[in-house]
Amino acid sequence: MDSTLPAVAEELLKEIKKAFQETSHGRATFSFRLKFIFGPTAVPALDLVDQRSVTRVTSPSGRTAYQVLGSSGKLYTCYSSCHFCTCPAFGFTVLQKSESLLCKHILAVYLSRAMGACQELTVSEEQLTSILLAEEEDEG
Amino acid sequence: LFRGGLAERLCRLQNRERSAISFWRHQCISDAKTHSDKSGVLIVKILEMFEECTIQVAICQQLEQSPATLSSEDAVISAEEPILKVLFARETAAHLKSRPQDVIHIYPPWQKLLLKNEDVPVIMNTYFSQKVLLSEHSESREKTNGLTKMLIRKNIISLAQTFRLDDLNDESCQESSGNQVACAPQIHNNRDLKEHPLAWSAVNDSLLEMVESQGAVGWREVQVRVVIQRAYCLPAKEGYRSHIQGNKPLCPMSNRGMFRRLCLLVQDAYGMFSEVQLQSLSSADNIEQYCRRWEGKFSCLAGMKILQRTTRGRALGLFSLIDSLWPPVVPVKVPGQSQDSEMMTANLPPPSFCYILTVQSGEIHVEVDEEEQNSNLYQPPAVHGLKEILQIDGCNERCSFWARVLYLRLQPKHSVPINQREIWLFVTDSTLQNVVHTTPKVVGVLVAASCVLSKEITEALSVASQLIFFRDALWGNGRIICVERTVLLLQKPLLYSAAGADLSELTGPVRLDELDSTTQTNSVCTLRGIIVGVNESTAFSWPTCDRCGNGKLELCPQDRGLLYCNQCSEFVISPVLKMQLEVFLSCPSRPQSTVKVKVWHKMSFGLFVLINMLLSLQSYEMQSVLGKEVGLLNCYVHSVTSHPNCVGLEEIVLL
Repeated sequence: MDSTLPAVAEELLKEIKKAFQETSHGRATFSFRLKFIFGPTAVPALDLVDQRSVTRVTSPSGRTAYQVLGSSGKLYTCYSSCHFCTCPAFGFTVLQKSESLLCKHILAVYLSRAMGACQELTVSEEQLTSILLAEEEDEG
Repeated sequence: LFRGGLAERLCRLQNRERSAISFWRHQCISDAKTHSDKSGVLIVKILEMFEECTIQVAICQQLEQSPATLSSEDAVISAEEPILKVLFARETAAHLKSRPQDVIHIYPPWQKLLLKNEDVPVIMNTYFSQKVLLSEHSESREKTNGLTKMLIRKNIISLAQTFRLDDLNDESCQESSGNQVACAPQIHNNRDLKEHPLAWSAVNDSLLEMVESQGAVGWREVQVRVVIQRAYCLPAKEGYRSHIQGNKPLCPMSNRGMFRRLCLLVQDAYGMFSEVQLQSLSSADNIEQYCRRWEGKFSCLAGMKILQRTTRGRALGLFSLIDSLWPPVVPVKVPGQSQDSEMMTANLPPPSFCYILTVQSGEIHVEVDEEEQNSNLYQPPAVHGLKEILQIDGCNERCSFWARVLYLRLQPKHSVPINQREIWLFVTDSTLQNVVHTTPKVVGVLVAASCVLSKEITEALSVASQLIFFRDALWGNGRIICVERTVLLLQKPLLYSAAGADLSELTGPVRLDELDSTTQTNSVCTLRGIIVGVNESTAFSWPTCDRCGNGKLELCPQDRGLLYCNQCSEFVISPVLKMQLEVFLSCPSRPQSTVKVKVWHKMSFGLFVLINMLLSLQSYEMQSVLGKEVGLLNCYVHSVTSHPNCVGLEEIVLL
């Protein structure tokens, strides 16, 4: 059977984007839904948005990636073409346990995009490559 | 959590909701199973269930009425009954322990979501759900199956299934509203404010919140919306430096306050004030344009650094200005209460502290919406006539007025560089001129060194009599002083209108008070009298430039006969000889005093001759001048002594 949750999540985020551009009333009502669908990820993700932690990194070829400054000060990389994040919570909660659709960083990326709160950074191809491959270097 | 952000708000809502849910569940157990209030209750029968992540998805049939009235055999899927996808949170699902065929009552508030391209509506926020048991048969089934853990199919969601936030446009151009990471100083355009709305948690209307969030991660991005009440210049702490340009002697008032910073006094929606120190202004920049364009407008401040938290006792000047803007003209918000409620102004005490903010170097973080109307909170200065101001009872009151400058005098403190000296302006207006009262016709306004004068003003003052707007001058101890935060303006800003008649127009020639027993030092007056003596040693003559009247001509080193005028930058072929002499007068208006006047401008022929003779050491006849009348002279009083009773004056020329 086709999955339900992603469609619901997508619709919710679209609504958030629309609501953000409208009145504050619209903004208030979506938060209940956000909590319901994303559970314990919602509040930490919103906190990341409050702190403007999300940066969209673009290279001249048009490739993009997202970097999120986590609460511990560590910078995590999220892909734009699929749900992937370099944080340990993603590996555990999403991949291993399938308990969540997204980790808080990926959700923060979506919310920041919906609200126009992304920072922008343009880098060279080399720099983007090193960002995407950074995790391997750290662990090495 | 970031203070004042969305996360914090959601947390609060969540906590409230959690207690509501547990309270409700507790009630369900203790009360009767069927609730009397059926409005808004969704009744569903579960057909199929599976799990996605921690959400339980139940494909259900919506029932119109409580199935208690139906027998279990009727529980057949009817084609007309609508199908719903009901989502249950993990905790709710654990509480319900539902299975297919169970009937669930979902109490409000639940939410319905309609997905595009799908017929089946989604029901969520189903926290207040309760399972309803149909009959005895179901109950027994419940008991037997209760211990068996039911296996629910779990859907694994593909990572490739990303969310698209937009339907039509290319995402990359939609998100161009993101902020630039500033690598170079940027000045935000007013237009950007309208086209790219800022992220909502970032713009708030409380200065205090912004100040308190300092140091927290992301505080740089906090933006506060404030009203600009006043714009002025403060002398920068770097100190003054005077320099001579070429051969020209320093014009007494040029380069005055050369290093100055543009500052704004702003007020937020809670009535709190803050002084924001911005960039340095060159002397070419005129404060007048900032006053005209920015005062009264809304502004967004971002990335402010706290320079100081100052209190009333330490910053009297600043607080006298704040007091002149208190109480606010419209109700302000009260902190601690939710938005849009409970605004009040009555009986609010005036502020006792104020934050002084400054910008991060290199970037300008003040966006002023110049196109918008003035804020209701804006209080333009209250303009009064000088007569009214002189009657104000109080000390350190800020006052604003229009006045015509008649005479200007620099304080002769030689230890202080010329451009830091105090200036005395003798001014009048129609309220002083047109009365026959004990108030003086002309008052002296002291311009302290801390009051920054624009180049335009200093140039204008030295040339001719000017009509000047004194904004936020300080009145106290019987004197008007221009200090820090006082602004002198030439043009009539549209906002600064005087109540009643136009106070600036003087009808008829300006009159000064006559010298009398009440005349004090450092004032101007007129006098007439009879010469009773001369002070011979004060006889003096000097050449002046016939073009500009410059009295400080220089001798040309090569040709000692030639005189050179620095102001005209030319030789003076036929200088005008000026003479001065101190004479003693007997003035009927102040008969008991010896009046000593240095005359030089309006001189009778007799005096002129006398001076000449004194200078050439010729013998002279005092008779030729004694008893002759002198006057009406305009004079500046530089000394008044009681023992001996003597008044020292100097003839002046009004501007």
